[in-house]
This record gives sequence, C-alpha cells and structure tokens, in this order.
Amino acid sequence: MWRNVKCKYCFLGQIIDYYLLLLYIVLLHLKMSSHDRIDIFPSRMNLTIMKTRLKGAHKGHSLLKKKADALKMKFHSILRKIIEAKQLMGEIMKEAAFSLAEAKFSGGDFSHVVLQNVGKAQMKVRSKTENVAGVKLPVFEHYEDGSDSYELTGLSRGGEQLSRLKKNYSKAVKLLVELASLQTSFVTLDESIKITNRRVNAIEHVIIPKIERTISYIITELDEGEREEFFRLKKIQQKKEVIREAQEKVRKDWEKEKEAREVFASIPSNHVPSMLDDKEDEDLLF
Amino acid sequence: MGDIYDMFFNMDSGYLEGLVRGFKNGILNKEDYRHLTQCDTLEDLKLHLQGTGYGHFLANEPSPLTVSVIDEKLREKLVVEFEYLRNHAYKDLATFLDFIKYSYMIDNIILLITGTLHQRQLSELLPKCHPLGIFDQMETVTIANTTADLYNAILVDSPLAPFFKECISEEDLNEMNIEIIRNTLYKAYLEAFYDWCQRTGGPTADVMCEILAFEADRRSIIITINSFGTELSKEDRAKLYPRRGKLFPDGLIELSKADEYESVKRVSELYAEYRPLFDGTGNNPGDKTLEDKFFEHEVTLNVNSFMQQFQYGVFYSYVKLKEQECRNIIWIAECIAQRHRAKIDSYIPIM
Repeated sequence: MWRNVKCKYCFLGQIIDYYLLLLYIVLLHLKMSSHDRIDIFPSRMNLTIMKTRLKGAHKGHSLLKKKADALKMKFHSILRKIIEAKQLMGEIMKEAAFSLAEAKFSGGDFSHVVLQNVGKAQMKVRSKTENVAGVKLPVFEHYEDGSDSYELTGLSRGGEQLSRLKKNYSKAVKLLVELASLQTSFVTLDESIKITNRRVNAIEHVIIPKIERTISYIITELDEGEREEFFRLKKIQQKKEVIREAQEKVRKDWEKEKEAREVFASIPSNHVPSMLDDKEDEDLLF
Repeated sequence: MGDIYDMFFNMDSGYLEGLVRGFKNGILNKEDYRHLTQCDTLEDLKLHLQGTGYGHFLANEPSPLTVSVIDEKLREKLVVEFEYLRNHAYKDLATFLDFIKYSYMIDNIILLITGTLHQRQLSELLPKCHPLGIFDQMETVTIANTTADLYNAILVDSPLAPFFKECISEEDLNEMNIEIIRNTLYKAYLEAFYDWCQRTGGPTADVMCEILAFEADRRSIIITINSFGTELSKEDRAKLYPRRGKLFPDGLIELSKADEYESVKRVSELYAEYRPLFDGTGNNPGDKTLEDKFFEHEVTLNVNSFMQQFQYGVFYSYVKLKEQECRNIIWIAECIAQRHRAKIDSYIPIM
C-alpha cells in the first residue's frame, strides 16, 4: 500500500513537473518577446554588423522624412489649386447653362439635331505622368482634334448665341479636364504620403529600437562573457595558490621531519642523499 | 374683288376664325408677364399660369417641376389647338394650314436624315420630332440605308417632294452639310408659300405676303451674318437667300458680296423698314441683339394681322405668336430655375 501511494505521488509529481516546465518555457518566451530584439549570436562581428545596420536605418529614416516633406508641400499646393478651380467651375457652369437657355430662346430646339449628328469627339484628353519626389502623378491635358463640324448649326437663327454657347462650354470642359487631373493627383499623393509616413514611423519606432536593443544585448552578453572569463582566471589562480600553499606545507613538514631524522642520525654519518635512494622526492613547482 | 372674300369667307372658315380670335385673346399680356417675372420658383410660375388661359395644364406633373416638362406641356397645348383647327378645315384653309405644318416637317426630316445617316433607331428619333410636323411617310424614312434610297423611295412621295425636287439632287444630299440642306429646303418652302398666298389674293395676300417677305429678308440677313468666318462660300450663301423679300433682287446681290457686319448694316439701312432694327443693337450687355429686334418686328406684324378680317393670316399669326409666348415663358422659367435673374426681362412682349 505504501508503494501504491508512493507510485501515485510519483506520477502526480511527474505531471506537476511537466506543467511547471511548460509554464517556465512560456514565461521565458514572454520575457523574450518583450525584449523584441533580433535573434543573433552575440559575437563581436555581429556587433559591427548591427552597428552598420543601425547607421543605415538612421540614413533611411532621414531620407524618407525628406521625401514625406516634399510630398506634403506638393499636396498643399494641389489642394489650393483644387479649391480655386472648383470655385471657378461653379461660375463657369452657371454661365454656360445660361448661355444654353439664351441659345434655345433664339434658335429653337437644336439639341436633337446636334445629338444625332455627333460623330467623333472634337476635344480629346491625353494623359501624362509627372514625377514628384519619386511619385508618379497622372496629369491630363486636352487637345483639339478635327475641325468644328457644327459651324453651320443655327445658320438661319440663333447663330450668334450658339457660337457664344460653344465657347462657354469648351471653357467649361477645359476646366473640367484640369480639375480631373488635379483630383487624381490629389488622391495618388494622399496614398503615397500615407505610405511614406507609415514607413518613417515604422523605422523610427520599430526598426531602430529593435536594432538598438539587439546591440545592447550583444554588448551585455560580451561584457558578461568577459567578466566570466576574468572571474574564471581569478578562481584558477586562487585554486593554484591554495594548492601551492598545501604543497609548501607538505614540504615544510617533510623538512621538519628530515631535520628531526638528521638530528637523530647525525652522529653516525653525514647522510648524503643519493640519487639511487628509495626516497620520495618533493615535486617541482613552478 | 374684295367683295367675294368678305362674302364667302365666313361660310368655310368663319367658325375657325372666330375660334382663333378667341385663342388670341388668351395670349398673355404685360400684367401676366410681370407676375411671372416676380416668381421665385417654378412652383410659383405654375400657380400663376393656372390663372391664365393655360389653366391646370401642369396639374398632373410630378414634382419637382423642370423646365423641359413645362416646355413640353406648353407645346402640347398649341399642338392640340392646331390639330383641332386643321381637322375642321377644308379647301383653301386646309392647304394654308398644311403650309404652316411644312416648316415643322422640314425640321423633322432633317432630324431623321441625320439620324438615319448615323444609324440611329427609329424609336429613338420619333419622340424627338416636332408633333406638328408629323406626316405619314415619316416612319419610312429610316428604312432607307443610303441617301439615294432615301431620295428615290421616300422623299418623292412626301408632301415635301416639290421642295426637294426644286433644288436638291441626289448627289447633293450626300455631300452637302445638313444645315445647307435645311436652309435650301426652307428657301423653296418660303417661295412656294409666298406664291400660293399671292395667287389666293385678297386680304390674305396683303397680310401674308408682308409677313413672308419679312421672314425671307430676315433669313437672308441672318444667314449672311452667321456665315462670316465659316467655310460657307459667298456663292453657296447666295443660293440660300429666299427670293421673295424686299431685298430681292438688288439687296440680295449686295448681301452676297458682304464681308462683315458693317456692310450688311449698310445694305439693310437702304430699306426703310429695316433701318430702325439695326439701331441700338450690339454685343454689349444691355443692348438688344439683332435677333431680338427681328423677333419684336415679327411680333408687331403678327399682331397687326388680326386687324384685318376675312383672311387666313390670322391662323399663321396665331401660331407664331403662341410659339413666341412659349419661348418667353421658357426663358422666364430658365432664369428662375438657374437663379440668373439679370436678364429675366429680355423676353419679347406681345400684347
């Protein structure tokens, strides 16, 4: 019965040990992740590698910050242009719509004939890319293709109002193209500013501290190694000192004994120790 | 000669003339226009129109009201009245009313030709035609694939055939700009109308020939002015002048040589009726344009036609005045809707 209980406790003990081990590993892992450094072997070469990487990270950070500033400046200028263009747009569209009403008054309802007669576009849009601090922004420009196929519309009535109408609406279309290109660049710039800022912050708050922590870890490890080495040497010296003292003591004892024996046996002869004697020699100590 | 017209006119057309004079009394006057210009929204406009002869024509329209809906409904009223007149007319009055319809038919045919040449569907084009200009063969226009088919098969049977025959051949239809076709047709129409009125004689001829002569001259002058700076050559331009106005023949020759606005003005000022129209016009804001002055003159002539009795001119004048009224109401509605009240008083007052 005692053996059964012992076995049961043995088994329980094993389970408890197992869980304790798990707990230890988990805690260790937590401790490690809050340190959050790069896992490399702490050697001197790795220290130099890490230091170079830190320098690179600082340089990258400053360059990206400059890029973010340049993009922000362009962003603000585009924003100002958009506001101006939109205000102008409101006025021009109002005038164009009114000139349509005037043309309809004098010239009757010409809209159906114009719509039916439409062939290909007279005003077209081309897109180009503009490079701002490494970001490619799309820019639209308009160009006229072909001649005015509606020159003679309103020949017998309303012609003057119609030509004014054409001018007003072509102004409106040109402004629309400009506004479209400004707005697309606005959106693209916004995206790239967000990305660049994210990268700057990532370098500043994650990468550089990580590398710094790694460097300090390597340094502490190296220091600790040195201290261990130093301590080990000291210990060895201490131990050798003790051994030497012990041997010194033995030799002194032996000499004392030798003296006593000499006094005891000094009368008969001068005992000259010879090399062939079966005596113990003392050890040589350096 | 005058007796015959007085005696027999009322037999055939007296009822309809009375009807037209009644319609004419319903045309908006200065008071009505003053009320309309003071409206702030299209709903107010609708309210004011309810008090006039238009009544509740906009009653069933869903809100919000738009200008195009008002336009449609105004035109619908005129169309209904005209169709009634046409259906009750016979003999000469019927021919006369048909002549009025031809000008709308010309617009519709031009629209259909353009649409067919660009392969549009008939169902798309038909709703865009002016309702007064619908004729039987209209739907067959779109069956033709080329202008040759169009010409041979369809246009020769339509009521506009004589106008086509006179001046446009098959090749011309292909090459000519659609606007030139339109103006050539209109020239033929105007000349035919004028000749018919002249043949009818009597007070009809007195009234209508005056109005049509002014229309012819007005077209010649406007075509000349609008063709400056376009690809239209002087010879082509001269072919578009209707030859029934006061400017024919000398004025037209001078006009065909004109190169700029000043020369046109000089030619027109030789004719007493047209000189005051050119005074005070210009492109500065606040000035009336030449077209506005022409509209005013036309309105004066049309109102004066009601002074004479026993003639068909009242029907023509009524249609034109009603159209002008539609244009005025739409103009005021646009100014209100676009909140651009600066030029709201630029309508043409009628009575």
